[in-house]
Amino acid sequence: MNKDDLIKTICDNVIQGRRTKDDEGIDDSLSGTPGVVELVGEALAAEVSVQSILKEGLSRGMDIVGKKFEANEYFIPDMLAAAEAVSAAMDVLEPHIMKAGLEPKGQFVIATVLGDHHDIGKNIVAVLLKGAGFQVIDLGTDVPADRIIEAANKNNAQQVGLSALLTTTMPEMKTTIEAFKKAGLREKVKVLIGGAPTSKEFAKEIGADAHCKDAFEAIAVAESHAGSR
Amino acid sequence: MEKPITFSGGQYQPLEQKEIQRLHDSALSVLYNTGVRVDSEEAMAVFEKGGAIVDRNSNRVRFRPITIENALRNVPQGVTLFSRDGLHDLRLEKTNVYLGTGGAAPDVDDLDTEEERPATLKDVADFARLVDALENLHFYVRPCTASSEVPREYLGMNEFYAAISNTSKHVMGAACTVQDARNIIRLAEIIAGDSDALRKRPFISFITGLIISPLRFDPEPIAVLTEIVRSGIPVALSSAPMAGLTSPITLAGTLVQLHAEELSCITLAQMLAPGTPILYGGVPSMTDMHELDYVGGGVEFGLMNAAISQLSQHIDVPCFNSAGVTEAKIPDMQAVYEKTFAICQCVLSGSNCIHHVAGMLESLMKVNYAQMLIDNEIAGMAIRALRGIELDEDRLATDTIDAVGPGGSFIASKHTVKYMRTEFYEPFLADRHDYETWRHLRIKDIRKRAAREAKKILKQHRPMGIPPEIDRQIRSELKIYSRGSSQ
Repeated sequence: MNKDDLIKTICDNVIQGRRTKDDEGIDDSLSGTPGVVELVGEALAAEVSVQSILKEGLSRGMDIVGKKFEANEYFIPDMLAAAEAVSAAMDVLEPHIMKAGLEPKGQFVIATVLGDHHDIGKNIVAVLLKGAGFQVIDLGTDVPADRIIEAANKNNAQQVGLSALLTTTMPEMKTTIEAFKKAGLREKVKVLIGGAPTSKEFAKEIGADAHCKDAFEAIAVAESHAGSR
Repeated sequence: MEKPITFSGGQYQPLEQKEIQRLHDSALSVLYNTGVRVDSEEAMAVFEKGGAIVDRNSNRVRFRPITIENALRNVPQGVTLFSRDGLHDLRLEKTNVYLGTGGAAPDVDDLDTEEERPATLKDVADFARLVDALENLHFYVRPCTASSEVPREYLGMNEFYAAISNTSKHVMGAACTVQDARNIIRLAEIIAGDSDALRKRPFISFITGLIISPLRFDPEPIAVLTEIVRSGIPVALSSAPMAGLTSPITLAGTLVQLHAEELSCITLAQMLAPGTPILYGGVPSMTDMHELDYVGGGVEFGLMNAAISQLSQHIDVPCFNSAGVTEAKIPDMQAVYEKTFAICQCVLSGSNCIHHVAGMLESLMKVNYAQMLIDNEIAGMAIRALRGIELDEDRLATDTIDAVGPGGSFIASKHTVKYMRTEFYEPFLADRHDYETWRHLRIKDIRKRAAREAKKILKQHRPMGIPPEIDRQIRSELKIYSRGSSQ
């Protein structure tokens, strides 16, 4: 394959949500052929620029996936498969991004707050953020404020995402934000909150920077924050 | 486009087996003791030749059970309603379920002005185009009539023309006169290529109302039927008594009378042309006891029409019945709950060919475009209910449950991706957004969304149409009123 074909094939495989050759894909049109991880390896060996792989391969693929989702052609699991493919490609690309001196979109710490063990929504946001090119530090569930602050500090994160499903754990979001203030780090991070019982009003009340009603709003908000840096 | 997958009903059975037998026996006794009135010398002659007991003083024809049984022996057990594109052929037999439109409403609610006005050929064409695009409607009967626009002798043929040029699905319809029937058959022959091609794959069929309940044959439709059976085109023999006015008030009594009427119609058709493909066209309804008006929206309508399905299965004749009628004047809550009831009852009873399903309002007096799309949605949910819960090793999902494990999520599993497009019925119109999103929707009312979708389909959907050279031939031979073939 020449360079252009490689990039196009990477893009096609993102649309099919294929990480490796073992993945069947959304339909089985590419079944048995190399997936995104193998193709990115090939592209690097063929000296395709990291920038082209990122922009014309991965991002373009995700844009098309987004359009298919909006047209009701793709469902959320299709979107997740595509994002996971991009995320796997990013793991391969990461050292090369540094070497090429490219600016990553940034570090994003994400966690379900203390007392809450619900993580399905949080995991979806994490996968989609990775798929969008963020470096995601996922702390899991039931995470106390001090651990979130520690991770944000250590990774020099620009954004923090807090999740809660229970009305009883929602107040922990406020506690976490207060703890950021106390640690003198509130100005360094944007705090995004989400989860079924949360709302724009609640975000305002507790001093969060944004409320995201779903994963797609989370990506859009994170992108806009990253863009305005 | 894929062939419609056929699903079988029969889960809903308002009548027990021994009750069906009792109804059947009662109908036979009505046909022997009371008989039917036939004001047509030709038909009386046919009946007499076939072994019926004819009294010319009273125009009364009575039947021994053996005469009926002999006729039933000639009826084909299944009928295929062919489509022009071959992708929508419908096999009517056993408890296979298909749904379609129908009615002869004089009025429509205009899609643009929302005002009620007389129906036109363009409406017949536009509704056909919608049905062509809507996946839960399998055949087309014009829901409105263009009788305000076209003289009676050309009416049926022009309605067929408007329909066929806008859908490749099977088209059923009525012929007003013998000449109209001849013209319709000629129209179909030109499109099929010749009469043999049409006989082999009839993509049209007829509906004839032979009976004026109670128990009286209408002479003109008999002449029309005589013409139709020569062509080999399938025909639904419809009879539509109103319980309390033109049949007994009891549901059982209405079913006895209707079954007797159907048996006499079937017998006539088989005496005219043994083996001719026919449908048992029982369309029972009720009478409003306050105002003597037609009632099709009551729950008894679904009960009786489901019973029709059972009665026709009992004698192995495909059935043609009705669901989707409402007394509501606008697409409101009454419209949808009345429709939903009857559509579910008929679908689950295994009715082969359910007409009136989409768009009808005001006791079949009016069609509404938005309502047609909403009813398509009801039909889709009913079909999904009919499909039931498919159960096999892979669908039981124990391996997937194991792979995901306690505390995991199924959203990204391959099993989810494999089945997510087929396990759930995907609605076109229903609002499933969260409150915040809904609050910001530009169009909140489902009726407005349905109207918008109808406009979109009419603008974008391109049906198969009639090739120009064939269209020219049709227009040179037959009196076509619509200007373009709506292409």
